[in-house]
Amino acid sequence: MTALVALEGVTFTYSGAARPALVDVSLEVAAGDVLAVAGETGAGASTLLLVATGFAPRVVGGTLTGTRRIAARRCGVVFARPWTQLTGLCATVRDEIGFGPASQGWPRERVRSAAEHAMARLRVAHLADREPAQLSGGELQRVVVAAALAMEPDVLALDDPAAELDPEAADALYDVLPAVAAAGTAILVATPDRERAARVARRAVALAAGRIVARGAAADVLGETAVAGIARAAGCPPPFPLDVPALLRRVAR
Amino acid sequence: MIGYLPGRSPLHRAHPYTTLALAGALLLGAFALTQPREVWLLVAAAAVFSAVGGVLRASARTALLLSLPIWVLLFVLHGLLGADPRTTVGPVALSVPGMARALVLGGRVTAIVLGFLTALATVSPHRLVEAMTAGGVPFGRTFLLASTLTVLPRMRERATQILEAQQCRGLRLGGSPLARLRALGPLALPLVLGALAEVDEQVLALDARGAGSAARRTALDPPADSAAQRALRAALLVLVIAAYAWKFWSMRG
Repeated sequence: MTALVALEGVTFTYSGAARPALVDVSLEVAAGDVLAVAGETGAGASTLLLVATGFAPRVVGGTLTGTRRIAARRCGVVFARPWTQLTGLCATVRDEIGFGPASQGWPRERVRSAAEHAMARLRVAHLADREPAQLSGGELQRVVVAAALAMEPDVLALDDPAAELDPEAADALYDVLPAVAAAGTAILVATPDRERAARVARRAVALAAGRIVARGAAADVLGETAVAGIARAAGCPPPFPLDVPALLRRVAR
Repeated sequence: MIGYLPGRSPLHRAHPYTTLALAGALLLGAFALTQPREVWLLVAAAAVFSAVGGVLRASARTALLLSLPIWVLLFVLHGLLGADPRTTVGPVALSVPGMARALVLGGRVTAIVLGFLTALATVSPHRLVEAMTAGGVPFGRTFLLASTLTVLPRMRERATQILEAQQCRGLRLGGSPLARLRALGPLALPLVLGALAEVDEQVLALDARGAGSAARRTALDPPADSAAQRALRAALLVLVIAAYAWKFWSMRG
């Protein structure tokens, strides 16, 4: 399958920084992929998302060396702090989610349809007429993810997307991702939440000091729990459940 | 009170361009009129404008607070230090032409501030964005204007949050003017630094939502405009031009 994003020996340095944030990074992401990016704070995971989606250095500045090919028409990105991602120009959640599609110049009916579809996916349809600034952090984060999805991106980068969510809302968010990927979107998710990442990602890379130090199957890179090991041994198809509740949900399905 | 106040007044329901045209006419009219009686008629017109918008009490209070220092300055500069002839009011000998000048200048400032605050309180930034989008105004200009209109309420909200957080950590508000001045330090620094820190993410988020797209944005819910409102705006333009023509004709005479 053709890669939507391909990095070969990419090194990226922020303006004024003494050391590069990414060093000699190579990876490919194709349509339908879910790639987890793991690493301690400062390892370069957020920067990798910005480089892979083309926002660095175009928007944030800095210097990029190496080869980067982005075949995606549209890239979406979601950050951990949802309140910084509001446009501040929309009176309702429906309009906030429709902002991106409207910016593309899509016909009004298509914008509305994309917004409704994204709201239904993220289970925020009941918030459609609320004012975005009045939402809780968790509600807002789901709205922001819905806003990114409404643009029908080819590549979606999620930077710690569940940081503001309670466990149930985080589960709901991660549960949406396989269906989004199945529809042809490549997803990169950087998160310290290895269990949830391993649940949705097939592949993962681990970063340390800007370098990829491990890559491979998500369960191998992110660490496998005993439950996942049992599921694997029992012949369950991946992704493997990582904890007992997830295993029970899988069995129930 | 500086910022949008939701409501159902005629000004709230009018096309945003109409409300802005009325405020603009007050602004331009203020400089076209030169006699105290004319300027004070304009102040009365600004008060009527504010009353029609249902925000007279809130706007007038803020307008008076903002223009009070200017009134004091004008009184000292023109009333006390102005040219002869003088009239005695109690123990003070006031300059007659100076007081007339102070009344004109003060009236202008009051009318402009009241008109501007009324427009801020009755023009929904969201509706203004929709109107400008429907009019084909590039998003950069739209965003510049709309974010200017919303910056004060946003800063006020953030300042409240910072003050609450600082009070939780022992900051004492109130007391002498010097103590109040000292309390500005723990407010101003986080306010400015926090805003700067979030700008990068906001720029990225807007870019990711297609704000920089070359496509013409789709207006999702453009406010209704009517022939009567367009005629009113044209009439205001003619009125302002006539006022300036009258001013220059009178000066020549």
